[in-house]
Amino acid sequence: MNEVTVGIISLALLLLIFSTGIELGFGMAIVGFVGFGYLNGWSSAMNLISRDIFDVITNYGYTVFPLFLLMGQIGFNAGIAVRLYNAADKFVGHIPGGLAMATVIGATGFKAICGSAAATAATFASVAIPEMDRYGYSKTLSTGIVATVGSLGCIIPPSVTLIIMGILTEQSIGQLFLAGIIPGLLIAALFIAIIYGWAKINPAIAPRGMRSTWKERGRSLPEIFWVLLVFCLVVGGIMQGYFTPTEAGAVGTFAVLLLTVIKRDMTFKKYVSSVSESLRTAGMLLMLIAGSAIFGHFIAVTNIPQKTADWVVTLPVNRYIIMILICFVFEIGGSFIDDLAFLILATPIFYPAALKLGFPPLWFGIVICVVAMIGVVIPPVAICVFVVKNITKVPIGQIYKGVTPFLISLILVWGLLFLIPQMVLWLPSVFFK
Amino acid sequence: MDSLYSILRFISKALNLVAGVTLTLMMFLTVADVSLRAAGHPIIGTYEIVALSLAVVIGFGIPKVSLDKGHVIMEFLLEKLSPRGKDVMNTFTRLLVIMLFLFIGYNLLNVGAEFHASGEVSPTIKLPFYPVAYGVAVCCFLECFVFIFEIVRIWRGQYE
Repeated sequence: MNEVTVGIISLALLLLIFSTGIELGFGMAIVGFVGFGYLNGWSSAMNLISRDIFDVITNYGYTVFPLFLLMGQIGFNAGIAVRLYNAADKFVGHIPGGLAMATVIGATGFKAICGSAAATAATFASVAIPEMDRYGYSKTLSTGIVATVGSLGCIIPPSVTLIIMGILTEQSIGQLFLAGIIPGLLIAALFIAIIYGWAKINPAIAPRGMRSTWKERGRSLPEIFWVLLVFCLVVGGIMQGYFTPTEAGAVGTFAVLLLTVIKRDMTFKKYVSSVSESLRTAGMLLMLIAGSAIFGHFIAVTNIPQKTADWVVTLPVNRYIIMILICFVFEIGGSFIDDLAFLILATPIFYPAALKLGFPPLWFGIVICVVAMIGVVIPPVAICVFVVKNITKVPIGQIYKGVTPFLISLILVWGLLFLIPQMVLWLPSVFFK
Repeated sequence: MDSLYSILRFISKALNLVAGVTLTLMMFLTVADVSLRAAGHPIIGTYEIVALSLAVVIGFGIPKVSLDKGHVIMEFLLEKLSPRGKDVMNTFTRLLVIMLFLFIGYNLLNVGAEFHASGEVSPTIKLPFYPVAYGVAVCCFLECFVFIFEIVRIWRGQYE
């Protein structure tokens, strides 16, 4: 058997082993180990797994994950999301669909410090949905928007998905952060427009809330200011070259911790809980990355990424059609496995092909992250929908019904990225000349 | 068996505590380095300490992640199996993972021995690599125990 055949059989074997319920990172490591051993000898394979594990968990570049995760968890446990939601509610709560819009604004603000989609969905499911219930909002709208806003964390910086993309494709994480801002804000704006339109067509689903006074609005502003300050510190610091991403994560975490301690929002118990949850997610993520590093080394030996890239450029099809097909592969793969896990697995295979087709690396990264955003809210593996269902006990079919209009806006922005790549490329080109 | 499981949980929690403290120190050290660098006095070797600390954060944290079933799995096909079929499949995957971690742990001991013999250290502050390799190897063996206990729990009807 030649290398390519072994590689293709191994990819099929990988899907088979995933279906046994094995931890995905460990499954990738096992198939990578067996495949590498078959092609290069077992002693090389033994050496590969230990070296890859050691290299991943002593790699300075990966220290960025636990730090950014800790920043988000501190913000989550200190109730920053709740206060951002309340602040947004003061400004837009009185217009039709205002509480749902406040959810989008609050979640977008919270995304500036927390990169976890599930944590955002969980927070807003506990805070915003009861408030919307109180004003008689339709459960379809309230659960649909809360399940969808979590996905904003995939591209609004400092996003863990963007960090992973940066590491996998060896791109500047700072540039990726900047590239995600315009599409992220556009998606948030489209969510708000959809809520407004939906509430105008059917006012019964989203009645007006209370109008706040300008004094109340003014009092809620400092909350927004602090979050913006931390965001500017983190993203601005990377952009200006003051910090590495790891340093930005540490400084951002320290700033959020300091802020929450001063404001008496952080207790020792909450801090322990934040650290514990960060360790759990970081451990899960780095095991996925270590598994994919082992599998990736094996796949590199099979020459599949190179052959795929060579084959793709010879196809008598428009390059945009090929890119759309690549996105479908990510979407379908992510729907059946896990979006982040599939992104880690498939990016090294398809990235060289995208480069050969002439797509800018930054653009590829953001397009794939938008595909991942769609993946976290569509069946069968829709983590944000599951979180909302578990908290609210609303039937999953009703949540999906609520998610659908917002899904359309995600698909719309994904399409716009093909038509107007400058949406992604403009900001990095301004700040990274 | 239950008392052994309690000991395993206790050790995993203790290691997780060490990982948590290390993560906190990693944050403070990096912030201190950034601040002092701005004043022209960076902390020499921060890069290396932080990189090697990640091994403690992840290596020591992993047994608890596995005990708490914190890894990503694809379960919708598994859910279609009968309870007995699920038990067999889960036992099969646990055995595969045990073998994987035995290989990794054993080879990390070899890697550690190589580092020790060659005297390999970090470039700036000469931190030796071998204790890190040995430490992670021990965590891999602990991970094997986690999965052995999972098999026991599967066949005792306690695995969810």
